Amino acid sequence: MRLRPPRPEDFHSPAHTPAVTARLGLWLGVAFTVCFLTGLASHAAQHPPGWFTWPTRPISLYRITQSAHVLSGVAAIPLLLAKLWSVYPRLFIRPPLRPPARLLSHAAERLSILVLLCAAFFELASGLFNAAQSYPWRFFFVETHYAVGWIAAGALAVHIGVKLSRTGTGLAERPDPRRRAILRIAWLSTGAVVLATAGATVPWLSRVSVLAWRSPGGPQGLPVNRTAAAAGIRVPAHWSLTIAWPGGTAQLTLDELAALRQRTATLPIACVEGWSASANWTGVPIAALLTAAGAPTGRALRVSSLEPAGLYATSLLPARHAADPLTLLALRVNGQTLSPDHGYPCRIIAPSRPGVLQTKWVTRLEVLP
Amino acid sequence: MNAVAAVRAALVLGGAAAAGYGGWHLWPQLPTAWTWLIAGPILHDAVVAPAVGVAGLLLGRLVTDPARRAWAATGLATSAILALIAVPLLWRPQPAPINPGLHDRDYGLGLLLAVIAALIGAAIGAASVSWTDRPKPTAPSTRQPPEQGQ
Repeated sequence: MRLRPPRPEDFHSPAHTPAVTARLGLWLGVAFTVCFLTGLASHAAQHPPGWFTWPTRPISLYRITQSAHVLSGVAAIPLLLAKLWSVYPRLFIRPPLRPPARLLSHAAERLSILVLLCAAFFELASGLFNAAQSYPWRFFFVETHYAVGWIAAGALAVHIGVKLSRTGTGLAERPDPRRRAILRIAWLSTGAVVLATAGATVPWLSRVSVLAWRSPGGPQGLPVNRTAAAAGIRVPAHWSLTIAWPGGTAQLTLDELAALRQRTATLPIACVEGWSASANWTGVPIAALLTAAGAPTGRALRVSSLEPAGLYATSLLPARHAADPLTLLALRVNGQTLSPDHGYPCRIIAPSRPGVLQTKWVTRLEVLP
Repeated sequence: MNAVAAVRAALVLGGAAAAGYGGWHLWPQLPTAWTWLIAGPILHDAVVAPAVGVAGLLLGRLVTDPARRAWAATGLATSAILALIAVPLLWRPQPAPINPGLHDRDYGLGLLLAVIAALIGAAIGAASVSWTDRPKPTAPSTRQPPEQGQ
């Protein structure tokens, strides 16, 4: 037997037919669209442009969008592999050498698909590693994942534009039982990976989802994303909270904070990495705290942590969140004093915010002009 | 220009603009990111897809019944995908400190249980083939004649 490169006609599986390709492409297109839009939403929540404020209601909004982002990305992994297997024979089409216009359009199509695949694989792989908080690379994840997300979305739009009539033909064709069996493999394996990970954010699945990033454990019933030791936190013996505003400052000890009227709210911590967990938080509403201290309300706040350095040592609490009656400077969680890993002596907890901005170990609130 | 042509032109031009915007943002990261960008298509086209093809050929020899073969393929594909998404949990070259409640499961055991569950599910599917998808020996054809007089 002589070995030679394969040709498209060497592939006989019913997977390599337009009826299968078009359906897988449609599902994958839906997964990528959800992933891209929720990714943009998360980017806007963390790095809001001047004209945009992330809403505070519903309180689980960020939890929902970010869970959809991560789970649609997980679902896209088997769908992408199935889709590529479906069109794999086309990789071996010999390029038409003439006329030059046909060669050129063939090369342009190949190049656009290469860009799409580089971007799609990169987004799924880097996102999956980020969910596992593992970073075996040297590029800056946030910036690169955002940039390549735009490339993937753009290249996908070009691809859909080029293939629109072909997809329509494929969808119009009714798949026979053998083709339906191929599609069943795709959606069953997609269901399996979603089920294996969704417990990171869906509480009742946490014991089923054996590959979820979040486990049911953690002190006070909540996972810890960054421990006090990792952040280098040392709470001073005579800790007090500083509130500063243009024209004044105030200091409050922990006892004084605890003596103010407390409010309990059930709010989720929803992390960019796709896990989330709900808890009962007790503390002083930020708006009431500012009023008690004599500071102006209705403005944005800069929140500073005891953490000496790092990307998330400070956060900006937008005016809308600062004014929300459910935004608390929490002293307790699930009926207990905050543990050091959950932000003792006090932390910010606001409705519908990315977890990294729910600053722990708060030491200073600065009302911005 | 008809509507379909207009939609196609909008998708291609808008897509090119979006990709260009992403490329402009990507540029500063490209020196460190390019290996990760190009690795996906190379690994897929040279390793993953040929492995799927070889597995498919072998499966075709081992399981001759198409319906049962589809269930065997379901079990194998689902196991492989589960193993793939477990990679970042099992392979941590620069481990961040493990935090309580995050990434602290026994993922090796979890993957094993998930794969066993997938294979059991596929086996049940394959076993059910014999009394559901079998063509009935008495029926000459599964095709129904077109209905008349609607």
